[in-house]
Amino acid sequence: MELLAMENVSFEFPDENVKVLQNIDMHVSEGEFVVLCGASGCGKTTLLRLLKKELAPVGKRTGEIRYGGKAMDKWDDRTLVEEIGLVSQDPDNQIVMDEVMQEIVFGMENLAYSNFEMRKRVAEMVHFFGMENLLQTKPSELSGGQKQMLNLLSVLLLKPKVLLLDEPTSQLDPIAAKELIMMLERLNKEMGMTIILVEHRLEELFAVADHIVMMEAGQIIYEGMSRELVHSLYMTEDERFIPYIPSVSRMYMEFDQMPVASQVPLNVKEARGWLSTQSAQLSSGHVHESTTEKRQANPLLAVKDVYFRYGKKDKFILKSFSLQIRQGEFFALVGGNGSGKTTALKACIGSLRPQRGNITFEGKEITKLKGLDLAGKVAYLPQNPRTYFVQDTIGKEMEDAVQRYGVVNGGNRITEVLESFGISNLRERHPYDCSGGEIQKAALACMLLGNPEMLFIDEPTKGLDPISKQRFAEIIAELHKQGITIMMVTHDIEFAAQNAERCAMMFDGEITVDGTPGQLFKGNYFYTTALNRATRQSSVGEVLTLEEARILWRNPIVI
Amino acid sequence: MSNGLERMHPFVLFLYYVAVGVLAMYFNHPLFLGVGCIVLILVNLTHDNGKALKKWIPMLSVMCAVIILVNPFINSRGTHIFFYFRGKQVTLEATLYGAVLSMSLVLILLMFISFNLILNGNKFLFVFSRFLPRTAFLTMLAIRFVPLLNRRLDEIADVQRVKGLSIKTGTIRQRAKSGMVILQVLLTWSLEEAIETSDSMKARGYGIGKRSPYIPYRLARQEVGWLVTLAVLLLICLVGGLLGYGKIIIYPQLGTLQLYPIDWIVFISMLVIMAFPLLIEGRELLKWNYSLWKTSHSNSRTRT
Repeated sequence: MELLAMENVSFEFPDENVKVLQNIDMHVSEGEFVVLCGASGCGKTTLLRLLKKELAPVGKRTGEIRYGGKAMDKWDDRTLVEEIGLVSQDPDNQIVMDEVMQEIVFGMENLAYSNFEMRKRVAEMVHFFGMENLLQTKPSELSGGQKQMLNLLSVLLLKPKVLLLDEPTSQLDPIAAKELIMMLERLNKEMGMTIILVEHRLEELFAVADHIVMMEAGQIIYEGMSRELVHSLYMTEDERFIPYIPSVSRMYMEFDQMPVASQVPLNVKEARGWLSTQSAQLSSGHVHESTTEKRQANPLLAVKDVYFRYGKKDKFILKSFSLQIRQGEFFALVGGNGSGKTTALKACIGSLRPQRGNITFEGKEITKLKGLDLAGKVAYLPQNPRTYFVQDTIGKEMEDAVQRYGVVNGGNRITEVLESFGISNLRERHPYDCSGGEIQKAALACMLLGNPEMLFIDEPTKGLDPISKQRFAEIIAELHKQGITIMMVTHDIEFAAQNAERCAMMFDGEITVDGTPGQLFKGNYFYTTALNRATRQSSVGEVLTLEEARILWRNPIVI
Repeated sequence: MSNGLERMHPFVLFLYYVAVGVLAMYFNHPLFLGVGCIVLILVNLTHDNGKALKKWIPMLSVMCAVIILVNPFINSRGTHIFFYFRGKQVTLEATLYGAVLSMSLVLILLMFISFNLILNGNKFLFVFSRFLPRTAFLTMLAIRFVPLLNRRLDEIADVQRVKGLSIKTGTIRQRAKSGMVILQVLLTWSLEEAIETSDSMKARGYGIGKRSPYIPYRLARQEVGWLVTLAVLLLICLVGGLLGYGKIIIYPQLGTLQLYPIDWIVFISMLVIMAFPLLIEGRELLKWNYSLWKTSHSNSRTRT
């Protein structure tokens, strides 16, 4: 039965002439799991919000939106609040109350349910989510994943029929993201809840979704079932959307002689099944072990036996943490949540003073470097680059930077940097009006005006769509080629494996292993790429990334 | 630290603290106040073995000493004169008044130390949301923002420090300027993020009609019993006080400190009120030990 329908819907914001949505036709039946994807700014969030009446953006809308066979505007507010729930991107911003229990019941209190009803629903759902022992805690003590689960739970207590989610996993680490998606899958399969999910990280979602919708510039470009969609994208060779496809499916489409839509593997298990039939065609002639030559350059950053804890009675977050990064290296630090990798980065840029051990940059203690001594040599790209901007426009911010660093011929240099990053159009833009990928590039551009020797990057791929991620990787690779030393902290293993020269894994406050991406990630069960999990112990040779497979395996199909 | 008292319904606890606070200011008989102080110290000891109390001991003793020593020298009312100091009389009345006043203050402070441990945060807000629902809700929202803003401020300071703006280096002017910049970023960023918060509230139906509060605590019958008991005892104390029991006349001339039978009734009522947490904890302890003894007893019996 059709539950939600959009017919010929177009939308534009009041002061702009561009249509954010153009002639959208979309039908969602009851119990369906729909995934919406597309580059940032393609209109998918606007589309999702049009389905949630209270949050519908202000502007001119044409066409019809129906819910349960009746026009959306004809429904009363209360029913719509109850029946259509929304979870958005940032786990922190959605939490209103200062106690988990209060937050859980917030929605029900607003709708003035009886205490009997509230107690019943709380008892049932809290148990389903396994959150009993968190009820009295404060939200600030929860992890990102727990916060997002709390947001989901609070919405679910209103017993919605449709659940809308706007990039709910973009701020989470891979394990928490996986848990959230598994929860959504359960809700969909066990309770028949209709789910519409907007997301960039699609590696697992292709296997879960019933229906995938791909958008660009306000229009639906492709839609269909996962397998058929993958197949047709490769048939039309649409470079805009191929990066969204899970890597195991891409492997199949690129290496199978005669790819068939119904055979496209969507998860590791299916991919392994396909690989076992391929050994004859794909067996790699020579296992090419790339041996990187040992760098002889001097260590730029040296961390020796650092111990750190926040309070006198807290446990140590960094324990005998040691690290050397040589001039010109691209180093990535990976590790789970709470392994101390962010603390390690903060210690490396001198934001924290370790209790024991020392950290030196070019032989000088990092905490002693102050003001311009530090700013001229080191750049730090935070998780949220908005914190970098002080001025109204990106152009002004760059002029500010030119003045601060005393760059000669500043005006030309600004134009040069903007052009090399391909963001000249952003010069007059307010930093808050940029997308995640744009603002990241803008911040990086400002930093490069100071010609830093070393760049520290914290979780650069959070919330980026695959295309922006690719562009960011290209920019970083270019900077690396120019000789900038890079240290990156990330939990995106795919990204680290593709880009870094050297990786280290952080565990329990120290670096447990350190080596090339190949040495570090191959053969792992969990801490590795999906492609590696699929190809491990197969006869065709183990690979980490698609690029590696293209080099290593014979006869790839030329597309 | 999950003891019997903490599991009590917030209303009972609130009534207890109100009663202690009122009585501490109501009576001025040294015996009443002295015993009250001792009982409240014991109450504090049952909470956390006096950890919170220890931090306050220096301050409490200094305060008492100052009041008792200073009051007789600046206040010369009263008729029982000890001696003259720079031409002013130092009297027994003023000394006693100082002692009574300091005991009363100590009692109130002891009450607040206990209050802080037992009726903290959300339980307190719960009590308040009965009288002032909107204020309580706003307080909750504000409290929620404190750790959030704190974390953002740290983040901004880190980024701006590496950029060259820091409040820890440079001249005072520069530092002030960097501080302003950091606060400005915090403000714009937080306002931007707050849009999502308000969306989340709207999405869950905030403002759609009158809210009905979720009541996480249920008044058990025993707790109703305690409420009534405390209320009746408080009433006895108040009425007794009105008739002059539990109070002494200090100025202009010290009256008698002798206690009459009704004084004792009022005194015992006050003692029961103040010792309410001790009774609860004691009962829990007894029950626990008794049940342990019973189970071990029956175990040994089944074994033989």
